[in-house]
Amino acid sequence: MFKLNLKITLRNLWRNKTSSLINISGLAIGLASCLMLMLYVSYERSYDNHGKDAGQVYKVMTNFLDINKRIESTGGLTGNMIGPALKEDYPAVKAMSRYEWGGPKLIANGTKSFKKSGRFADADILNVFDYTFVSGNQKTALNEPNNVIVTESTAKLLFGTTDVLNKTVRFENKISLKITGVVKDIPGNSSVYFDFLMPWSLYQTQFDWVKEPAWTNFNWSTVVKLDPSTDIAQFNKEIKGLMEKKRPDSRAFVFVYPFNKLHLNGTFVNGKSIGGKIEEVRLFMGLGIGILLIACVNFMNMATAKSERRAKEVGIKKTIGATRGSLISQFLMESLVLTFCSAIMAIVIIELALPLFNNLLGIELGVSYSNAQLWAGLISVVLLTGLIAGSYPAFYLSSFNPVQILRKKGGKSQGQLISLRQLLVIGQFSFAVILIIATTVIYEQIQYIKNRPVGYKVDELVEMEQDGDLFDKFEVLKAKLLQSGAIISMAQSSTSMTKDGSNFTGMEWKGSTDADKLFTFNQIATTYDFIKTTGVKLLEGREFSTQFASDTAAVMVSRSAVKRMNLVNPVGQIVVFHGEKRTIVGVFDDFIWGSPAQVDRPMVIGFFQGWGGTVIMRLNPANAPVANLALIEKITKEVNPAYPVEVNYVDRLYAGKLNAQRILGVLANLFGGLAIFISCLGLFGLAAFSAEQRTKEIGVRKVLGASVGSLMQLLSLSFLKMVMIAILIGIPIANYIMNGWLRNFEIHTTINWLIIFLVAASTLGIALITVSLQTYKAAKTNPVQALKYE
Amino acid sequence: MIKIENLEKVYKTEEVETTALNGINMHVKAGEFVSIMGPSGCGKSTLLNVMGLLDKPESGSYKFLETELLTMNDKERSNFRKRNMGFVFQNFNLIDELTVFENIELPLIYNKVAAPERKRLVNEMIERMNIVNRSGHFPQQLSGGQQQRVAVARALVTKPKLVLADEPTGNLDSSHGNEVMELLCELNEQGTTIVMVTHSSHDASFSNRIINLKDGHVISEKINKTRSEELI
Repeated sequence: MFKLNLKITLRNLWRNKTSSLINISGLAIGLASCLMLMLYVSYERSYDNHGKDAGQVYKVMTNFLDINKRIESTGGLTGNMIGPALKEDYPAVKAMSRYEWGGPKLIANGTKSFKKSGRFADADILNVFDYTFVSGNQKTALNEPNNVIVTESTAKLLFGTTDVLNKTVRFENKISLKITGVVKDIPGNSSVYFDFLMPWSLYQTQFDWVKEPAWTNFNWSTVVKLDPSTDIAQFNKEIKGLMEKKRPDSRAFVFVYPFNKLHLNGTFVNGKSIGGKIEEVRLFMGLGIGILLIACVNFMNMATAKSERRAKEVGIKKTIGATRGSLISQFLMESLVLTFCSAIMAIVIIELALPLFNNLLGIELGVSYSNAQLWAGLISVVLLTGLIAGSYPAFYLSSFNPVQILRKKGGKSQGQLISLRQLLVIGQFSFAVILIIATTVIYEQIQYIKNRPVGYKVDELVEMEQDGDLFDKFEVLKAKLLQSGAIISMAQSSTSMTKDGSNFTGMEWKGSTDADKLFTFNQIATTYDFIKTTGVKLLEGREFSTQFASDTAAVMVSRSAVKRMNLVNPVGQIVVFHGEKRTIVGVFDDFIWGSPAQVDRPMVIGFFQGWGGTVIMRLNPANAPVANLALIEKITKEVNPAYPVEVNYVDRLYAGKLNAQRILGVLANLFGGLAIFISCLGLFGLAAFSAEQRTKEIGVRKVLGASVGSLMQLLSLSFLKMVMIAILIGIPIANYIMNGWLRNFEIHTTINWLIIFLVAASTLGIALITVSLQTYKAAKTNPVQALKYE
Repeated sequence: MIKIENLEKVYKTEEVETTALNGINMHVKAGEFVSIMGPSGCGKSTLLNVMGLLDKPESGSYKFLETELLTMNDKERSNFRKRNMGFVFQNFNLIDELTVFENIELPLIYNKVAAPERKRLVNEMIERMNIVNRSGHFPQQLSGGQQQRVAVARALVTKPKLVLADEPTGNLDSSHGNEVMELLCELNEQGTTIVMVTHSSHDASFSNRIINLKDGHVISEKINKTRSEELI
């Protein structure tokens, strides 16, 4: 029986090639989209979830209190003392490590030098995280200050081989380190990523300030591995008083949070996680399931539309002795066969599309075909899809009464069936309309924040990191570069023009209160020519100048800072900045420093000779940019030979800030487009069947004198009505959802009704074209043929 | 073999009630070939459907070899049907996606006959129906007469006690129609009981007995002398 049913299925597929193709490819696209999004979701969900003990790793978090001892904010950074204190005093802590931010650092084998992600961490980190050692001893690899662990890729990059144990590399052109371990590459979805790992003891010898015991200098991350039997709530209660005990003035307390949950649940309010990136992940999950459901709806619609053809088969089989159960299983099997074909096609699509998708998202997703879990997942999705898609046709078709079918040439229990099919189409298109509106709103929002005035001149502005000798020889470099004509101006800055994150409290000014001291200002430290180089607009006064020796004790403040401090005639007034009395010499206009979608804090720019980090340069517009960059690279290399020179355009760095929104936009675009496409495929198929069913009616009407136009109207109208209803349902839902989304941004656009109207019109237009393709064909057929068909 | 008493069947729609069968009494002996005739709407097809357990009457009794069938539930009816009855329809009702062989094989599959046995029975049937060289063809590739022969083959392959035929020649020209009628006669002579609904008195002349229906009543019964001698 199974074999025979399979034969019927395959022969049916072959006979209705067009509709089979529509069905299979629609479902394949739906499956592929769904699986791709699920790959992404699983990538995000497995973030920091590597190794068997990942569940026992916790990050030490800090809750900051306001003067009323209420939790004001929560941060992931700690001082350097809390970790050792926890390890020493609490037996539940099995391992502990501090680590710094792990930025690009210079590592070299002879003349082969690269800036790679290097990280300092306690030796105990090898007991916290589960690294796979290719060579070296996990127990001792970071014991000596001159030890370094490299990943396989780093080893290959430097030496061309992974057989590098005990070889020597040069770090920051200063010290030689011995490779004591080679580990497998760290997965891209790890928060504590590194290309090479060095011991904390080396870190301490490099910087004096790291050595100093600090409780409230929140500069580092701390992770602990707890005994599996630990009651976390109890543990957090025990450590709550620790900070206050050690530093009564700290106004902060620590707690631990599961490390593998932090990436997705990183937003804290009142010291409790309220979500974070998980919302985006859920959105994508919803999107994936939604698209798959659209494809399933197509499938059901096509199958029920075909019911008239299948009814005869059902009738015959029932008379001959088929039970309802055997018919249900036949139709379910049919849908499983189709889903199976779709799954194969979906895998092909994924293989073709994954590199593009990875490129878009800037991550590394891959399908490992040896992974049993993946296959189990795929098979269960296929089975579930097949069952969902096939259940309605199966139960519907098998319910036919054989007498009626075989007598009347076809089951016509229409009324209700049509309304269900209509409902499905309406649901399908509502979803598509919501997606399209979401896409356009996201696009508009991106445009809106992109078009915000930056507040400085981003064109021709470049930055590079102030590495190695560039600190001491800054003035030499500046003179040489200016002389070369590659640049017209240059300044030193504590941070990049596009990266916020440096701020301070404790500012005092005329009339400030104790509460004002707790207010957080953004800060940049610089020396001369900052305004001249960046093009930030000066409103009053002047910038720091070599002509005023007193400027080493000066600050500039932003327009919003003046407003916050309530200063009249700010220039010349004295403020207390980092505990020093300083004079305001200039007021500058606010510029976008952090996210373009957020309002930045008021800013203070202070004069600090030794506090650099970034070299900002304005290129000479008289020369070709390429020539300018080549000159800069050449001269910088002369001044600072040990380091590779990497010059970045500020406008590109700025554009990078919109990356997350851009990805969201692209994904919504892509999958919204696919949703519309699949929906239209379904509509196309339905229109075809409806035209076929009404062949005789069309013939009779034509004989009686109906025009092609009036027939098309007759056939198209019922479909367009459904799409119209879908639009009416979709618009308010989309409006509600997207208003909610926009509220996430401090600076946001409003939903433009003209665009919503255009979306509605174009959806209707696409549906009209799709349906017309079929109805035109039906209306044009020779009526004689149509009538002979009976 | 069949004894029907006071059979009543009413079709209801929202506005009208149509009495299709209005107290039918009839019997069929084993080995008989009975024709049911009557004008359109007289209830003959309804009667055939009730006899084939495809439709349920409101009241009455239907005994088949002393077993009352009308009290059975759906599953029992379906089982009884597939073991004891075969159907031949006016429009053949072959499954388009199956070959001649597979179409004939289908009822055996539902009767859970083992595969080698199925093959033997189907081939025997194909030979008997004289369609050997057609066994791999699909219904669309056959003439109407051939299709109906396949349908008859399918009805007989389970060796049913009763064959129900609903205007078996209705869609055929007269030469193919005669072919099918001769086939039915031949089967009847070999012992199969046949009940046939027909419009055509020519077709009815092949049977032993003709029952005339009108408005849901049996109005007359006629023994066909030329073909009923051996039975009576």
